[in-house]
Amino acid sequence: MIKNYFKIAWRNVLRNKGYSLLNIFGLAIGITCASLILLWVEDETSYDESIKDKNLVFKIPTNQKYDGEWRTFFMATPGPLAGVLKEEIPEILKTTRLRDQDFLFSVNDKNVKSFGAYADQDIIDIFNLDFIEGNAKEAFNSKHGIVITQKVASILFEKNKKVIGETIEVDRKHSFKVTGVIKDLPDNSTHHFSWLVPFENFTDGKEWSKDYGSNFTDTFVKIASGVNVDEVDEKVRAILPAKTGDEETKAILFSANDWHLRDNFKDGKIIGGRIEYVQLFSLIALIILAIACVNFMNLATARSQKRATEVGMRKALGSGRKQLIFQFITESLLTAGLASIISVIGLLLLLPEFNLLVDKNLSLDYTSPLHVFSLLAITLISGLLAGLYPAFYLSGFKPIDVLKGNPKNSWNASLIRKCLVVGQFATSIVLIIGTIIVYQQVDHIKNRNLGLDKDNLIEIPAAGGEIIKNFKLIEQELTSTGLVQSTGLMNSHILSEGNNTSSIRWAGKPENSDILISFRTVTPNFFDAAGMSIKEGRGFGKSKAIDSSSVLITETFAKLINTDDVLGSKIYWGDDELIVTGVVEDYLYGDMYGNSDPVVFFHEDEGADYMYIKPTEGVKTSLVLDKIEEIFNIYNPGFPFEYNFVDDSFNSKFKSEQMIGDLSKIFAIIAILISCIGLFGLSAYMAEQRKKEIGVRKVLGSSVLKIVKLLSKDFLILIFVALLFAIPLAWFIMHNWLQDYAYRINISWWIFALAGFMVISIAMLTVSFQAIKAATANPIKSLRTE
Amino acid sequence: MIKITNLEKYYETEEVQTIALNKLSFEVKEGEFAAIMGPSGCGKSTLLNILGLLDDPDGGSYLFNGIEVAGYNESKRAQLRKHNIGFVFQSFNLIDELTVFENVELPLIYTGVKPAERKERVHEVLEKMQIMHRRKHFPQQLSGGQQQRVAVARAVVNKPKLILADEPTGNLDSTNGNEVMDLLTELNEAGTTIIMVTHSEHDAKFSHRIIRMLDGQKVTENILV
Repeated sequence: MIKNYFKIAWRNVLRNKGYSLLNIFGLAIGITCASLILLWVEDETSYDESIKDKNLVFKIPTNQKYDGEWRTFFMATPGPLAGVLKEEIPEILKTTRLRDQDFLFSVNDKNVKSFGAYADQDIIDIFNLDFIEGNAKEAFNSKHGIVITQKVASILFEKNKKVIGETIEVDRKHSFKVTGVIKDLPDNSTHHFSWLVPFENFTDGKEWSKDYGSNFTDTFVKIASGVNVDEVDEKVRAILPAKTGDEETKAILFSANDWHLRDNFKDGKIIGGRIEYVQLFSLIALIILAIACVNFMNLATARSQKRATEVGMRKALGSGRKQLIFQFITESLLTAGLASIISVIGLLLLLPEFNLLVDKNLSLDYTSPLHVFSLLAITLISGLLAGLYPAFYLSGFKPIDVLKGNPKNSWNASLIRKCLVVGQFATSIVLIIGTIIVYQQVDHIKNRNLGLDKDNLIEIPAAGGEIIKNFKLIEQELTSTGLVQSTGLMNSHILSEGNNTSSIRWAGKPENSDILISFRTVTPNFFDAAGMSIKEGRGFGKSKAIDSSSVLITETFAKLINTDDVLGSKIYWGDDELIVTGVVEDYLYGDMYGNSDPVVFFHEDEGADYMYIKPTEGVKTSLVLDKIEEIFNIYNPGFPFEYNFVDDSFNSKFKSEQMIGDLSKIFAIIAILISCIGLFGLSAYMAEQRKKEIGVRKVLGSSVLKIVKLLSKDFLILIFVALLFAIPLAWFIMHNWLQDYAYRINISWWIFALAGFMVISIAMLTVSFQAIKAATANPIKSLRTE
Repeated sequence: MIKITNLEKYYETEEVQTIALNKLSFEVKEGEFAAIMGPSGCGKSTLLNILGLLDDPDGGSYLFNGIEVAGYNESKRAQLRKHNIGFVFQSFNLIDELTVFENVELPLIYTGVKPAERKERVHEVLEKMQIMHRRKHFPQQLSGGQQQRVAVARAVVNKPKLILADEPTGNLDSTNGNEVMDLLTELNEAGTTIIMVTHSEHDAKFSHRIIRMLDGQKVTENILV
């Protein structure tokens, strides 16, 4: 029987090639799209799987209360916390601190910059690091021991060489002996490091790192299995207040299960993160698949008259309804199966492009049961989704009606078909409107006044090496070439959150105010290089000594001080009395969508992390870069020349939004494409059905235009109905999405008009093709066929 | 074999009720060949559909082999139909996507006959209908006469007790029509009961008895042999 079903199904595919192509092609696009999204979802949801006891591993951020609101900070625990947690909370079995850093490794003539971390021995157990050489017990025994990953080992040393005991020169200053080689961490790990050295290497000589005054490291813990996590969390929260007496800074447990997908905190609690995008795109995958299935349903029921005789005859010959349902579902499954085969080819072709888009390394693994099973499941789901309704519909024909030449069905297929078309187009319109708004919002932020000039601004990592020591010489040399306008150092990345404190005081500061003030150390020409304008007073002078008690502040900070003449006002930090000598225009850093905290600038070059260089206007950038490299090779010898553009760093801050915009654009195009494929098929059948009517109308004198209008009108009404549903829905969804951004656009009416115009044009173009074909056909032919 | 008593069937639209069968009664014995004649709209096809268990009567009794089947539901009717009744239609109603062999095989599949036996029985009946050489062809590749022979083959392959033929020669020329009538006669002579609806006096003469209908009622009954 099944063989018979397949035979019929296959012959139906071959007999109705055009119809089958529309169905298979539409479903293939849907399945490909859904599979790509699922691969992405699989990757997103499988982060940190290399940590064996993921449920027992936690990161420790701190919740800090400022002006009545809890703010959550990562990389913000004090040095002693890890040790105290292990000592005082019995449920905590392992703890490690982790502070990342870039190192320059040199072995013989090989120089490699590598990103890694200072850590404690327990990191091996917490992250389940897998040793290929050396062993976990001894790896952290020596302060100058270093554990490297397989990849770093393969770059620095010869292939197959045993590297335990080999020496690596670090930043041209220190020597470390390799004590272990570990397997590379998987790409989908939240925390990456290519090397580890004992934490003392960071803390030795830094007395401040041994007390509770500075939050400078990440802390990770592993708890015993079977313990109550909430109780442990309570104990962890109590530790810092007990040690410092400060009830407004609390360490909290943050589960490894949430690191990647739920890292967005508000008022000290998780409110979401990438999980929202995972959910959104899973939903979009399902919607696209459903849109593709709708085509199958609509075409199947539209051409049901052709199948009615077969149904009637089969029933007369003894077939039950169940058997017919099964037969029609076999047909839809066969179509879905063929579509899946095409999808696999499509997936292989599209994956490289998709990987570029989502910045991942996804692949289809034929040996993975999950992938094979998922593809089968998608095929089955789409086959059933597409086939169930037509199966019930088609099998419902009564043989008596069919044999009388008047097949009837109790289902109102035409109404259902109209509803499904409205649904398809409404979804497409929502996606189009969503895409326009996402792009508009990203564009809005990108064109925001940043208070600095990011264009053509070069950033060079300055930590390690000789850059800070030789800065004055480098600056002199660079400006003397005439290629560089100005240059400066800063102790953090110009666009990042950086360091802050709530202990700065000034006259008139409310007693209970603990507002956060960011602090930056810069060199005098930094402001000019960064294009930041000094609104009042002066910038820093050449001599650090003269400026030892001078500070510049941003406009927001000046407003806080709230005095008629802010220049000359005094602010205090610890025992230091500082005098405001200039006011800098507010600039944006950290959260590009919000408003930045006030900033105070100090004249200091020590501890700088980045050097910023602004080339002279009109000079070719490549020429400037060549010159900079030449000068750096002299003053920072042995270190590879690395640079970046602030513009690129800025753009990378919108990676998620940009990706969402790009993906929505693609999904919107796909949704409208699939919908139009369905509309194309449907209009072809409608034109076919009304062939006689068109013939008679033409014979009676109707013009081609009138007939095109007649055939297109019904579809146009459907698109208008779709717009009526889609516009409020899109407004509601996007209005809510925009609420997450403090700096956002207003949704304008023209977005809806544009989306409507686009969809109506595309749909009419699709329908009119068939309508014109039918209207220009010779009426004699259509009448003769009757 | 078939006994209908006061059989009634109405068709209703919103405003009009049409009586298709009006308290119709007659009997057809096993092995008989009966022809039903009458003008268009007299209820012939309605009667045939009810006799073929494709439709329900609205009143009266229908005894099939002594069993009352008038109130049977669709699945019970299907069961009875597939084991006992074969159909031959004016427009052949072959399934375009199936070959001659597969079309004839279909009733056997629905009655659960094993593949080997199916093959044997289909070949046997195709030989008998002289269309064996066309077994791999699709219906559109055959002439009208050949298509109707396939339809007859399909009707008899399950060895039904009753064949219902609705204008079996309506779409055929006289040569092909006579061939089909000869086939039906042969089947009847072999013991199959046949009830045939026809407009053709010529075809009706092949039967044993002609029942003439008008407005859903039997008007005359002529016994020919």
